[in-house]
Amino acid sequence: MSRRLFTLSFRGRSASAALAVAAAVMLVPANLLPVLDTDSSGSLRSDTIFSGAVELWRHGLGAIAVIVFTASIVIPILKLAGLAWLLLSVRNGAPDNPRRMTRVYSAIEFIGRWSMLDVFLAAFLTGLVQFGGLSTVVARGGIVAFACAVVLTVLATQAFDPRTLWEGRPAALPLPSP
Amino acid sequence: MSPAPAPKVSRERAFPLIWIVPMIAVAIGLWMGYRELRDRGPEITIDFEDGTGIETGKTVLEYKGVSAGTVQYVELKHDLSGVTVRVRLKKKAAALASADSKFWIVHPEIGFSGVHGLETLVTGVHLTVLPGKGAPAKRFKGLDKTPAPDVVDEGRSFILQSDRLGSLTTGAPVFYRELKVGSVEASRLSDDSTSVLVRVHIEAPYVGLVRTSSKFWNTGGFSFKVNLFGAQMKDTSLESLITGGVAFATPDTLPLAPAAEDGAQFGLAPEADKEWMKWAPKIPVKSPESVVEKAKGGGILPSLIKS
Repeated sequence: MSRRLFTLSFRGRSASAALAVAAAVMLVPANLLPVLDTDSSGSLRSDTIFSGAVELWRHGLGAIAVIVFTASIVIPILKLAGLAWLLLSVRNGAPDNPRRMTRVYSAIEFIGRWSMLDVFLAAFLTGLVQFGGLSTVVARGGIVAFACAVVLTVLATQAFDPRTLWEGRPAALPLPSP
Repeated sequence: MSPAPAPKVSRERAFPLIWIVPMIAVAIGLWMGYRELRDRGPEITIDFEDGTGIETGKTVLEYKGVSAGTVQYVELKHDLSGVTVRVRLKKKAAALASADSKFWIVHPEIGFSGVHGLETLVTGVHLTVLPGKGAPAKRFKGLDKTPAPDVVDEGRSFILQSDRLGSLTTGAPVFYRELKVGSVEASRLSDDSTSVLVRVHIEAPYVGLVRTSSKFWNTGGFSFKVNLFGAQMKDTSLESLITGGVAFATPDTLPLAPAAEDGAQFGLAPEADKEWMKWAPKIPVKSPESVVEKAKGGGILPSLIKS
């Protein structure tokens, strides 16, 4: 009797590419759909990530607006772009400049853990701001999509093995002195 | 025991299973987008003379006390003649965008006719609508103020002509047998300034009481007469003593005079004739109370009348 064996591997280039594509897909609803509904003393508003950052800016909170914009819009896109670059560079064997690509990889991996700012913000606000008729905050679908995108990006980064950047390289390359 | 047969290694799948993940992501993304679009109704544009308090993304269009849409955009017109407001309606409120719908801005109002829109002191203004029945439309001309109540219900308005206003204020009651059946809407000087014109509104259930032969008089103010046969005080209610008021009676001569048309004009006597008070024509009315009574199958009111 024989059984066929299937593998659902979360490792390897293919897995990394698949997860990165999934993350990119989730970024679309994350940015287009509202993330938070705030109802303060009867006036309701629904914000996407971008309109939230614009609103912070208009209220004179420029620094926070820049943080939100960077952490929630720029960095997720940069991370995916970096990942796409890495995956494309190893498509035909090891890249020409593995050292630079390794730096790109460590940067993406390092920054991944700081990407949930928006999700934390929404979680805190919905938990804290529940004053019935006076003020209520409700999380919307966009924040779920955003969280999915962040998690998928982290998984895609984890799935990528940086050793593939050096595969087939002669060991004779000078190692950086410790 | 023979060794296990060598595993047959098939070549790497052209389509690794992991690619199910992005497919699920696409499905979820599409579903989320669909859900968001599903509740979206049409966008309508309303022109207002004045846009005090309207804010993009915050001001809502309310109908029957609940949100029916949100202002997406508010901007001055190019020729500075007013403001343009774009409202995204909810899907279920799409029927509000029919050709003869009337839109206006609700501001807090405190007057003799009562307090309106007090909640807007705290929440900021909101828009509201009186839905029309016409074909769907995209562009509307907003009203400058709350439309007169005759638009809101199906009552009728009549013009009373009087020598003097006699403490009649807007919102003052109109009585029939000392029961409030309407209110004073507006008053102005006649075109030749020889008299005062008062517009009164009679609520829908009571419009049948006003006939072309009806007599109106002013119940407001305070009058006291002393003559040879004793003292006489004008018989009036406390409410009309303060805000002024109008009463009317209809002669009971048969057949009854035809019901007065909307906008019909009557004289306003300063005082009631004794004879008018005796008139008791039988006119069927559908007062709101009688509807409640029927629904309850005979509540307090009939038992009061029987006892």
